Amino acid sequence: MSEPSNRGASPMAEEQNVYAGVYHMLIAGMIVSNVLFAIGIVLALIHPQFFPLSASWVSEQYRAKLVFHGLIHGQPTSYFLLGTLLLILTPVARVIVSIYAFWVDHDLKYVAVTGTVFIIMIITVILGAFGIR
Amino acid sequence: MSYSISFVLLLLAAASVAGFFGALLGVGGGIFIVPAMVLLFHLPMKIAVAASIVSVIATSNAGGSSYVEQRISNLRLAMFLELFTTTGALVGAILAIYLHDWAISMIFAAMLAYMAYASFSTRNLDDERIAKGLFSKAKADSVARYLTLEGSYHDLAADKEVHYVVCGAPAGITIASLAGIASGLLGVGGGVLKVSAMNRYMNVPMKVAVGTSKLMIGVTAAVSSILFFMAGLIHFMVVAPVAIGTTVGATIGTMLMNRLHSRVLKWIFSALMAYLAYAMLAQALAEGFGIHLPAST
Repeated sequence: MSEPSNRGASPMAEEQNVYAGVYHMLIAGMIVSNVLFAIGIVLALIHPQFFPLSASWVSEQYRAKLVFHGLIHGQPTSYFLLGTLLLILTPVARVIVSIYAFWVDHDLKYVAVTGTVFIIMIITVILGAFGIR
Repeated sequence: MSYSISFVLLLLAAASVAGFFGALLGVGGGIFIVPAMVLLFHLPMKIAVAASIVSVIATSNAGGSSYVEQRISNLRLAMFLELFTTTGALVGAILAIYLHDWAISMIFAAMLAYMAYASFSTRNLDDERIAKGLFSKAKADSVARYLTLEGSYHDLAADKEVHYVVCGAPAGITIASLAGIASGLLGVGGGVLKVSAMNRYMNVPMKVAVGTSKLMIGVTAAVSSILFFMAGLIHFMVVAPVAIGTTVGATIGTMLMNRLHSRVLKWIFSALMAYLAYAMLAQALAEGFGIHLPAST
């Protein structure tokens, strides 16, 4: 099972197609999150609300039911939250797709490299959930 | 604290200007918007950093890596260096959460001062190296060889296929880690550091370094954003206008970038960096120690 030696920056055709798809996904994610932010701003200005500048208040908003309820009832916080989450998730999605692309390419070294980047992201989530605040 | 229409619109405008100049000067919006938020809008440094790094994710896509740029970028090199930028970003974000606002401001001021100085020392030696085929004559180090980090691209200006051998992995790794820490701690993209690491120490041609750096920035920013998000530091009414503003500004700035790049811009950039460095230092000293520097707001 010999691989072509000059790999470097020239991925195989399937990988290029995957990357074209990923690129469009990233742009779409960016546009949608900006739209959500814009909606949130408009809602917040129409009905001015009190937004405490404290980490504990912000963290308390992270409840799925609260967010869902907020989206339906035009709560700006929910739109902001969703927009932020979407924006953060797009690079995460890109890393996941990269792992898949390298796997399809039988490039196990880079499956490991990209997989480790993903693990670092998971560790960040765990650290955030369990104490770094 | 409730936010007025004027606050939101002013923040939106400031972010647009920051994104515009960031794209124009090739440094990303974070470097301008963080000082703007702290000095003009009197927002706490941590809130400013968190808001900025989220908007960095947005602008990392906004400039638009064109298809041409994507073919030039070295995907494998990006993935490899991301191991270190993301680790650095996690460390930086943790530091950002635990350090005092004024300490972060001081480190930010130091970074600005360094950039004011360093912007004159970036010389483009690429043309000569491409003509002499020097990029391909380097010897790969063991890491670069194991991970086949070499590559090639078609340089339109020189009209030839440029093959390059990546080396200097230890130096590249060190600087990539520092870039990650800077990104997590200060809310900036860190692209300048990453590009210099690749171009100066890893034998990567400038165009490849720039394209590859753009691939990395979003992922690095996402790591610290995750931590800030979970720590509740992402304040909605700040993030939203900043994200929208820098996205719009950066898109426009990128469109104009090719036509306006000149020596004058470099001078303006250095002067602006030096001024902001002084202003951020003054703010940090006032907040942390009650010392008031002359001619500071």
